[in-house]
Parts: sequence; structure tokens; C-alpha cells
Amino acid sequence: MARLAAFGRALAPWALPLLLVAAWQAAAHAGLLSSRILPEPWAVATAFWNLAVSGELWTHLKVSLWRALAGFALGAGLGLLLGLLNGSSRRAATLLDTTLQMIRNIPALALIPLVILWFGIDETAKLFLLAVGVFFPMYLNTFHGIRSVDPALVEMARSYGLSGWALYRDVILPGALPSILVGVRFSLGLVWVLLIVAETISAQAGIGYMTMNAREFLQTDVVLVGILLYALLGKAADWSARGLERYFLRWNPAYL
Amino acid sequence: MQINPLEENRVSQAAGQGRHGTHLVLRGLSKRYAGRTVLDAIHLKIAPGEFVAVVGRSGCGKSTLLRAIAGLETPDAGQVKVGGGGGRGRASRPEVRMMFQDARLLPWKTVLQNVALGLPDGEGRAREALASVGLAERAGDWPAALSGGQRQRVALARALVHAPQLLLLDEPLGALDALTRIEMQQLIEALWTRHGFTAVLVTHDVQEAVALADRILLVEDGHLALDLDVRLARPRARGSADFGSLEQKVLDRVLDIHHKVN
Repeated sequence: MARLAAFGRALAPWALPLLLVAAWQAAAHAGLLSSRILPEPWAVATAFWNLAVSGELWTHLKVSLWRALAGFALGAGLGLLLGLLNGSSRRAATLLDTTLQMIRNIPALALIPLVILWFGIDETAKLFLLAVGVFFPMYLNTFHGIRSVDPALVEMARSYGLSGWALYRDVILPGALPSILVGVRFSLGLVWVLLIVAETISAQAGIGYMTMNAREFLQTDVVLVGILLYALLGKAADWSARGLERYFLRWNPAYL
Repeated sequence: MQINPLEENRVSQAAGQGRHGTHLVLRGLSKRYAGRTVLDAIHLKIAPGEFVAVVGRSGCGKSTLLRAIAGLETPDAGQVKVGGGGGRGRASRPEVRMMFQDARLLPWKTVLQNVALGLPDGEGRAREALASVGLAERAGDWPAALSGGQRQRVALARALVHAPQLLLLDEPLGALDALTRIEMQQLIEALWTRHGFTAVLVTHDVQEAVALADRILLVEDGHLALDLDVRLARPRARGSADFGSLEQKVLDRVLDIHHKVN
């Protein structure tokens, strides 16, 4: 009985999406929805299957994944480094923070015309866009995390002889980690949004390309496959970020 | 068995144990914050192995006094001298450890790692220290899983693992419930008796001061207003008449009752 209740609780979040899909299928079947506007779920599933079998899906997925990872690594890595630097050194913060805050107020996507002029429309332009967008959540959260490390703990650690790298490794970094991981989560969420835009501008491969291409040929089912893929990838990114939190913050009862 | 104290001192220091307390001398120690004088030319001598309690109302400067002794505050005038005459270089600098009001354990390190903080390979000693405060079986837990009293016991173990010659206690029991407090007081007294370090305890609890200290100091407006020896046999029974009258005497003085009456 208790097991059944637990099973019910696990299923409960999925009840509404399943219901919606069922209603959608029923409406399409009854002819209430034109396949031009929204193809039936079954058609989407078939399209998904066909793309998977033909290998097209994996090609695009691989390209998109690579872009997302590379853009994230570049932008978030730089954000982490500068956040650590400015969080730890007042001098660096005085020199750099104002500039970075100014740049932060420019939406990454507003740079698209300039980026196209600079880098053309190839991979560099996409990586640049992703990296710029992902940089700031990471930078801000790292900076904030370092600055908000409990000074009482730092004082204690100093009085126990920790200094330099040991102090950084044992006290400051772990203290900033909850905030840094919030930055990772934000950045991972953002990287997909930016990727969609970057891939729809101009691309020869990737999920965005696949979707835009399908639109040209009015293949609404493939368009939906692309949208669903983005949703799944976004969810997977969020899920892995939470996994990181659960592992690295296992000492914190709030993350158990 | 008679042991020559000097001899034992040398032996234990050679073993890195530092079983004996150290001298503490304050000369004209002054500290000001934003124009307000918190400590005003404090002179104080504390003998090795002495247990001194510092009492006073909140904001009287007793915590600042302790932090200045610990080197966490730089005095505006005067000096703090820890260790008797033979202070030659860093090697002979006495081990000074501080226990804070809050336990200040690193929440991302296990209890054992917290105790071993600042010891390159001190796991074995950390386990011993943890056992001496009765928490050996919690070595692998996160601090978040401990009660307030247990956290302070871990903090005590962390201080003791360094074999301090001077242990500074900044109201470490202030946030604990009455029963846990008494247990902790007994634990601190037992460990002090065993290790023989010099102890300076800042507290707002006069009963705690009378229960533990050889000597009670009262800080008032940045001055030492009272310096009282406590000549009660240990272990001290809180219910005894001598204990009660001494506690009352100190309390009256802290609350300044006589001055007001006159």
C-alpha cells in the first residue's frame, strides 16, 4: 500500500503532461487540429524514429552537443576564473568589475550583427555568442560566492595556521561552491537558449538547422522533434547540474 | 611518584606535547574602536596552568581582550606577551588556541577532518582528541548532523589536538542549554586538569566562572575592576554555601549593586 502510494507520488508530476498529450492526440484524430499547425503526437514519434534510424538525428545532436559543451566550457570557464580572481582580490575587482558589469548589460543576442561581421557565420561566431552569454551567470555567482564566504570561518582557519592555497582549497572554494553551482545551473540553462538562436541564424548542421530546414519544407513533425530535443537536452543539463550539487554539497542538509 | 616539573616540561616539549601552561602578560593593553576606548591600559599577569575567568556585562570589552590575546586584534597600545622569558625565535613560540562562541566547524569537512585542520598528517592524533571529548564514533559525520553541544566538543577537540599551552575560550558555552553547559564545563575542567594548559575563559555566566576558575577578573568600561582568587576545592559543588556566597558576591559586583546602594 505504502509502495503504491510512493509510486503514485513519483508519477504525479507526469500526469498533466501525459493528459495533455492524450488530449492533443484525440483532438488531432478528431480533425480539430490541422497537421499544418500541429501534427498528432504519433506523427511526431514516427518522425523521431525515422530521423533516429536514418542517423540524421544523431549527426545533428552531436553537432549541437559539441557546440553547447564547447561554448559552456569556454564561457563558464572564463567566468569562473574571473569570478575567482575578482572575488579574491579587491585590486582586481576595482580594475575589472565595472567594465564587466557594463558589458553584462548588453544582451548577448544583441551582438549578433557585430559577431557576424567579425567572425562570419561559421562555428567561431556561434561559440563566441554562447561563451559571452554563459560567462556572466558564472562570473556573477562565483564573485558573489567568494565574497560571501563566512569571514568567521576564514578567521578560524587562519588562526589554525591555514593560509595561501590551503586556505583557498579548504575554506574559500568550498564556501563559495553553493553559489558557483547556482552559476553552473544558470549557465547550463542559458546555453541551450543561446544555441537555439545561434543555430537558427545560419548553420549547416545541428538541431536548430534541422528545425529551420524542416520549416522550409513544412515538416511540422520534424520541427516538433527539434523542439522536443531542446526540451530534453535542457532537462538533462539541469538534471546533471543538480547531480553536481547533490554530490559536491552533500555536507549541506539543504541539498540532501 | 615525584616528577621534576622542569624535567617533564623539557621531555614533553621534545615530544611536541607542551603539557604545561604558559605565562601570559599584558602590559598597558589598549584598544579603541571608532574613537571609543574598549580596553584602557590593561595590566595583567597570568601564571602557567592558571584557569582565569573574565566576566563582565556584554559590550564591556572582555571579548576584545581575548581576541587581542589571540592576536586576532592588533592593540592600539601596549603589548601581549605569551610565554615566559625564553622566547627565542619562532620555534619556541607557545601554542595558543582559541575556541569561539560558535563552533566554527567547516560544514564541508567531516568531524574528523575538522579536528585535523591544519595538521598535515594528524589523523591519528585527531582521533585521539575526538575520543577525549567522547565523540570518537562521530568521526565520519558532517557537522550539520551534530547538536550544538557536540559541535562545541568537536571545536574543543580541534583546539586540544594542537596541545595548546594557552587555551582561549570566548563564551564557548553561551549558546548551549543548561544541562549541556554543565557537562561541557566538567569536560573542560577534566581536560584542563589532565593537560595543564593555561586557560582564559570569557563568560557572562558568573556561576560558570566560579565553577571553573582559579581567578575571576571583572572587566568594566575597559578596566579590570576586580581580580578575585577562587579558593574552592575541586571538583566544586554548586550547591555548597561557599560556592553560593562567592557567586553572589561576584554577581553583585558585576551588577554594581553596592555602588548603587552607596
